Amino acid sequence: MTGTWRLAGVGIVLAIMLGVLGLRLWTIQVTETDTYTAVAEQNLIRVVPTPAPRGDVFDRNGELLAGTRASLAAVVDMGLVEDEFAEVLAQRLSAFLDRPASEILERFENANSGAQIILAEDLTEQQALTLLEHREEFPGVAVIPQPIREYPGGELAAQVLGYIGKPSEADLERPDVKGTDVVGKAGIERSYDDLLRGTEGVIKYQVDAGRSVLELLGEQESAPGDNLILTIDIGIQAQLQQSLEAGLGLARDVEMAERQEALAAENGDIRTRLFLALEAKQLEAKRAEIERAAAEASGEESAVTDEDSADVDTVIEIDEGKVLGSLYPGLPVDGNGVCEPVQRVEVGVTSRTLLSGIKERTMQLLAVLQDRSQRIAVVDIDGERFEVEEGDSFATTLRAIAVTEDSIVVSHSDKWCPVRTVGVVEDPDNGAILAMASYPSFDPNSFVSGLTQSEWESLGTINAFTNFAIQGQYAPASTFKVVSYVLAMEEGIYPLDRPVGDRILGDENTDTTPLDEEGGEEEAAQSVEPTPSDSDLKPLTSDTDLYNCTGSLRFEFNDGSSQVYRDWKRNGHGPLDLHGALQASCDLYFWEISLRIWNERSDETGINNEDLWQEWARSFGFGTETGIDLPFERPGLIPDRQWFRDEQRQDTGRVRSTGPWVGGDLMNAVVGQGAVLVTPLQLSNGFSAMLNGGTLWTPRVVSEMLDQEGNVVDENPKSIIQKIDMDSATVWGLRRDMQQVVNGAIGTARAAFAGFGPQVSTVGGKTGTAEIIKAVEDVQEVDTAWFVGVAPVMSPEYVVTVVVERGGSGGRVAAPVARQVLQYILNGEAAVTPLEAGANTD
Amino acid sequence: MSITTDRSQVSLLRRDRKFRPDWLLLISYMTLSALGLLMIYTASAPRLEALGVSPTRELEQQAAFVLIGFMAFGIVSLISMATIRPWVSAIYLGSVVTLVLVLSPLGSSVKGAQRWMQLGPIRFQPSEIAKLAVILALAALLAAAAKPMRWERVARAVALVVVPAALIFLQPDLGTMLTFGFIAGVMIFVAGATWRQVAALVVVGLIGTVGLFQVGAIKEYQITRLTAFLDPVSDVLNTQYNQYQSQIAIGTGGLFGKGLFNGTQTNLRFVPEQSSDFIFTAVGEQLGFVGSLLVLVLFGIMIWRVLVSAANAATRFGQLAATGVAALLAFHVFVNVGMTVRLMPVTGLPLPFMSSGGTVFVMMSVALGLSHSTWLRRPTLPIERSGAS
Repeated sequence: MTGTWRLAGVGIVLAIMLGVLGLRLWTIQVTETDTYTAVAEQNLIRVVPTPAPRGDVFDRNGELLAGTRASLAAVVDMGLVEDEFAEVLAQRLSAFLDRPASEILERFENANSGAQIILAEDLTEQQALTLLEHREEFPGVAVIPQPIREYPGGELAAQVLGYIGKPSEADLERPDVKGTDVVGKAGIERSYDDLLRGTEGVIKYQVDAGRSVLELLGEQESAPGDNLILTIDIGIQAQLQQSLEAGLGLARDVEMAERQEALAAENGDIRTRLFLALEAKQLEAKRAEIERAAAEASGEESAVTDEDSADVDTVIEIDEGKVLGSLYPGLPVDGNGVCEPVQRVEVGVTSRTLLSGIKERTMQLLAVLQDRSQRIAVVDIDGERFEVEEGDSFATTLRAIAVTEDSIVVSHSDKWCPVRTVGVVEDPDNGAILAMASYPSFDPNSFVSGLTQSEWESLGTINAFTNFAIQGQYAPASTFKVVSYVLAMEEGIYPLDRPVGDRILGDENTDTTPLDEEGGEEEAAQSVEPTPSDSDLKPLTSDTDLYNCTGSLRFEFNDGSSQVYRDWKRNGHGPLDLHGALQASCDLYFWEISLRIWNERSDETGINNEDLWQEWARSFGFGTETGIDLPFERPGLIPDRQWFRDEQRQDTGRVRSTGPWVGGDLMNAVVGQGAVLVTPLQLSNGFSAMLNGGTLWTPRVVSEMLDQEGNVVDENPKSIIQKIDMDSATVWGLRRDMQQVVNGAIGTARAAFAGFGPQVSTVGGKTGTAEIIKAVEDVQEVDTAWFVGVAPVMSPEYVVTVVVERGGSGGRVAAPVARQVLQYILNGEAAVTPLEAGANTD
Repeated sequence: MSITTDRSQVSLLRRDRKFRPDWLLLISYMTLSALGLLMIYTASAPRLEALGVSPTRELEQQAAFVLIGFMAFGIVSLISMATIRPWVSAIYLGSVVTLVLVLSPLGSSVKGAQRWMQLGPIRFQPSEIAKLAVILALAALLAAAAKPMRWERVARAVALVVVPAALIFLQPDLGTMLTFGFIAGVMIFVAGATWRQVAALVVVGLIGTVGLFQVGAIKEYQITRLTAFLDPVSDVLNTQYNQYQSQIAIGTGGLFGKGLFNGTQTNLRFVPEQSSDFIFTAVGEQLGFVGSLLVLVLFGIMIWRVLVSAANAATRFGQLAATGVAALLAFHVFVNVGMTVRLMPVTGLPLPFMSSGGTVFVMMSVALGLSHSTWLRRPTLPIERSGAS
């Protein structure tokens, strides 16, 4: 038959097809069979990871600060839950866990297929047993050991320990961190996360393709993380926290008393009304209208209450009955006599015309201070800022946080109310941190059990999670005079000689803050008596030469204008040497030192080393992170000409908006104000270095890492950042002068330490009061009280640093807190005497 | 060729007592069927046992089909192709009608495809019958073709295939549609198409396929299924889950296999559709490369014998019918086994004589019977003559 060749051709093609199959089978079954065998193994076995217990954290005496409790969790392996069965399973689990089935089902649906989700934590023994016994009813559900973090001390050292939580995006980029893990988010939980985490274990199940679990194949137990030994002393830590909490209460009491006094002195019924305006233009119109009304009916109480002229379409007037008299300092909004930094105020609304539209539109809240002089304070809602009128004592910021049908909830921020206390206790001989805390604090256990949204928000509002000892940047105020003190002694730079008894200025009533924000560019308004010209003045030559502190200092400019700087003590301290200047915290003495540096060395080329003071400040660790083994540390700031030129002007509100770096800036800096910022830890560490003779240690909170058997696996030994060459006369002088601050007749902390006890002579310290500080970056305008204490003062073992944010006088509120901690350190708990306000000193 | 000639051959055959079956074909047919039953049993028993029913249920069911298939094979073998030829038009038309009906509400849907037809107690797949009908119709059409073949004849052959192919495409059953294309191509070639015509067919086939993709007639899942096998790790748990599991199962079989009932993949049901489309997986896992190769060799022998029948066929109709059967068998084997080893996409073509399923087995048996029928009625070959004397 013809065409047989065609059949043969077809035969060959078909044979080739079969041959291809044969070759493929050879490859799979003979050449690559091992690979497939390995894959098949995985196919059969599901692996459920079991989290490792985090390592324990102990204080220096072996007291447990963070531990782990064993618990069981129910994990659902979504790879084993068939779609059709998900709903049934959710219903069974719902009854079992007493949670709505819809919620469980939602979690199933949101999970990736193959994901393992932790459905219930901390199961009761009964629940765990039931799940294990009725495994066939709960396919895909496994019971795994789940360690639960516990902090037996609660708030004790909370900001040092930090807390744990779900990993962030950044955390997930670390090797070995999975989305289901728990990682350290702050404190040493974060900085030592890799050590603490341990190695997770696995439970292996054999399953079939029907996804049912056939048997438990095995379990590889997790390996707990390493344990940490801290340098923290649990006793000092507890005392510090207790004193900080009490200290904030004391500071608020003091503040309240002052307000009542001021109110009584004003003898006025100062009331406040609120207006809500929708746009700035309308707000301005309203403001003008009020001013006009005030001019017409001056002295009349209801001057601004012009209901008729208030355009209901643009301005909403809030029911005055609930607001009047409530926003003036001294009369807290809620009327219960407590100074709270942030308050929520609910305000009724009389005109509701536009309330529904408010939410969608930009809002500005206009607060009108309605007193005799019709002063006006305007505060923005959405970011644009209306300054409080010059000279106005009104110090309230308002923020609308909720608008409903008939009320507006306003958050009232009281910038004079003390908000926070921060403390650090350090061993100056090696940089070990014995205690570190800020109040308000938080309980890290609450992160384990889960915070509610409102709890989270309220703690977040007061920054309870932040470790202000390393993250808070404050103006160090007079405590920073020790830097100039050391500089003076080491460099031999002393003030200009002004004859004792010769008062330069006589106008006692002029009230000029020492830190004028204009920085001295303009001529001061005060009349100035003739003073001896600079050519008549010779520099003092030793630390014992007397300088006459008159209380005010005129600072002359090249163009002939001048500025008057006033000491915190209006009448001055009289004749004193360097030691007296430190003890009494005389501003003038240190200003004179800065003036000498400025006048003799000011030089943009740097050849004359105009940055002498900055160099000394930086050598003690200021302006850079200390390198403590905790996360998020801030560097602080030591300003100089270059910083002023390059960065200052870019940030509106930093120091001032115009002008070059001038002598006044240096004057501000040497007394720890102006742009100078330090963290409490930096101050503690800098003082430690000065007091120990010049060794700047790296501060640390962890000393040793131990494995589970207690063997030391690693150490965090003391390490020196740098050694500063200091004359022993300087060190001994500083120690003695700090002793005198507490014990001497003119000492600024004498009153605060009055009830200390017999060992008061072994204690030293330095007070600091930052007065009006302009907003610097994220640091609010604050009024910061400082005290740095040391004991035993002649051979320092403890440096105690205390900050009261918006606290007022360092001698009055910060020193008493440090006093309690020092009492505890030296003589134990029994020696701690109740907290009482000290004298109102710098 | 004329009917008269066929009759004379029948009488010749009887006269010469050459009514000798093709033993090799019979051996491969029966061995594959038996092996199929064994595999179906090993693949289904653990699951059935777990369900609490008789582990032999599926085996018994398939055994019944095998018996029916054997009988059909025997009967068809005895029927002369000449007897069948007048019925070809009717068979073709009837097949097209059932393909239309299966798309109507009379047909039933399984896994998204409208493939089944219920006739009283009998449930069958019209598309399987259609394969047979198309082979017969093409054979009849092409047997009368002039040499060299005219373009008009090629066009008619294509039209003949396109109608049922389009209906099957609507079910949708891409695998069967492609089977039609392959069969038609092979048959037209053997029938004497010129190289140009072959080339034209290939071009038209390609344009047609691309066109279907272009107008979106091919559904998303079909495209995914067709392409997913190219990327082994794209989505192991979904689209090519079956195929991936199948490949693993076969891979773990090794040279000699794990032995019957020892296939963890098979017995733990990782491979779904174990006894139907993926029956070869059970062979690969349990009997290893040796067992797999045995199956391929048996199919090789079978296809070889069918081609030999074609070569020796007394009529062009018989020759072309047998050629179509060879192409059908080869395509099914290649696509099905190729699918289990992830050489081909998942198309749902069963493995002849081994996959469970009644229609397929009976239809394949009938097809094989047609081929055998031509063999039995072959003109005497010199060797056989001498062997007989």
